[in-house]
Amino acid sequence: MLNKLLEGLYHKIFVNIVVYRSKSIVYVEESNKDEIINSIEESFDTTTLNAKMYSFIKSHIEESPFHYISILDTSCSQGAAPTCNPKEMPLYFDSTSSKQLCYADGWSYYSSKADLHLLKKEYSSIGVDFIFSPFVLLAKFFKDKIDKHTSMYVLIGDSFLSLAVFDHSELLFAEHLDMKNNKESDELLMDSSSMQNLEFELESSVNLDDIDVEDDIGELNDFGDIEDLDNFEDINEFSEIKEDEEKFIEEEDEYPRNETEGFNEEYQRFSLIKSSLKHFYKDDKYKSQFVESVYIADGVGVSSDLKRYLEEEIFLSVFVRRIDLCAEVCELAKAELQ
Amino acid sequence: MKYSYTSARKKKIVTPELQLLFIFFGITLFMLFSTYAFLLFKDYRFLEQSRDIVQKRFDLNISLSSMKSKITFIEKELALSERVYTQNTVLKDSIANLFDLVPQRITLSEASLLKNGLILYGITPSKDVYNFMLQAPLRSIFHKNYSSFYPDKNGWLRFVSTNYIEENDIQNYDLKSEDLEEQDTNEGLE
Repeated sequence: MLNKLLEGLYHKIFVNIVVYRSKSIVYVEESNKDEIINSIEESFDTTTLNAKMYSFIKSHIEESPFHYISILDTSCSQGAAPTCNPKEMPLYFDSTSSKQLCYADGWSYYSSKADLHLLKKEYSSIGVDFIFSPFVLLAKFFKDKIDKHTSMYVLIGDSFLSLAVFDHSELLFAEHLDMKNNKESDELLMDSSSMQNLEFELESSVNLDDIDVEDDIGELNDFGDIEDLDNFEDINEFSEIKEDEEKFIEEEDEYPRNETEGFNEEYQRFSLIKSSLKHFYKDDKYKSQFVESVYIADGVGVSSDLKRYLEEEIFLSVFVRRIDLCAEVCELAKAELQ
Repeated sequence: MKYSYTSARKKKIVTPELQLLFIFFGITLFMLFSTYAFLLFKDYRFLEQSRDIVQKRFDLNISLSSMKSKITFIEKELALSERVYTQNTVLKDSIANLFDLVPQRITLSEASLLKNGLILYGITPSKDVYNFMLQAPLRSIFHKNYSSFYPDKNGWLRFVSTNYIEENDIQNYDLKSEDLEEQDTNEGLE
């Protein structure tokens, strides 16, 4: 009773932490009952709690006893299942080693107990109040669309993708994809596909005995005139091409890694979405439904490449909406308190 | 609706150090107030006792005055009883003297003692016997003497002698007797 009374006198401080691939963003919001009094966002070059981040958070939480520390769960062993029935849950995930919660009595989201414990232990010096699933964030963010459409919804983080297919607020399929771990699996996938191709090639291979070697030698002779290479003009032309290439590389050097990495990442994201969609269509345990559109909650600032890939490769209508992950986590914390 | 995997920690407004400080001050205040309450109680008890003592003293004073009045009453009663006793003694002596006065030949049938007189009824053999032997001493005592005779069956005379003392003498006698009583009571008190 006394606590409730005093709660009205103090400001509430919401500390929201979102861990990216190589940094952590801490968003602190000081709010009264109805209005935001102050907010500050700070980026730290660490994925764990270092001294600088600790002192920053500590300096803010000391201002009020009513402070709430929220973290977005980005661990890989998490997901969502289209059921709230505990008996059906083992069909989708290991319910014994996971903590699961039901969302609006329609579907459930889960995360590994070990990961949650690890997260709590990691931030034990400041303490953790709320750990939110990206699926809840996604469902809240696209609430207006989920209720009315049948489409795929993707939350894009720096190191993860949370993907869900909703049919008029009924979850059909959900998958959490970790980009770090999936790099290897992609490679494995690619390997397997190449292996399949190889097998195909082997099956449809040409019998070497049937090849007439002499017929092909004539063709090889066309490339065999090495003397032509000594032609001066050709060398000049080659040097010009070389200069152009150097220029191109120089130009590229201004944004070298971003573009290449960005390109790789967008393609990686695209391939993850594609494989997930394939998984959704092929796996019988999911109620399959044709997906025509995809809503993307962009938390990192993806380039138009991803949109292009999705539109051109798998013919989806793509809608991208920017999301401030920290602010959304803060909103969730507020909703949780009410 | 619950969104988070974990529940919010319980928020404490007071830190453990502050809690300790509050406990310390709380105990100190409690001790102070308990001492104050004890003193108040003691004060109240003391006042109550003093009030009781005053009441008792007042009651004792009342009982003392009533006892004094009782003593006075008892003393008066004593004086009265002594007076009565004296009077009775005097009366007894008077009656004894009176009967000593009556000669053997005269027989009294009735004697009435009045405040200021004496009425005698009796039988005498003759008027002379009466006149010489009874009326003579009666005259010496009483101021007024009246005698009447009438004959009896056996030839003797029945007489009625009425004797009075004058009022002034009686009053003087009363005053004297009261003075004597007062003297007696004073001696008794001393």
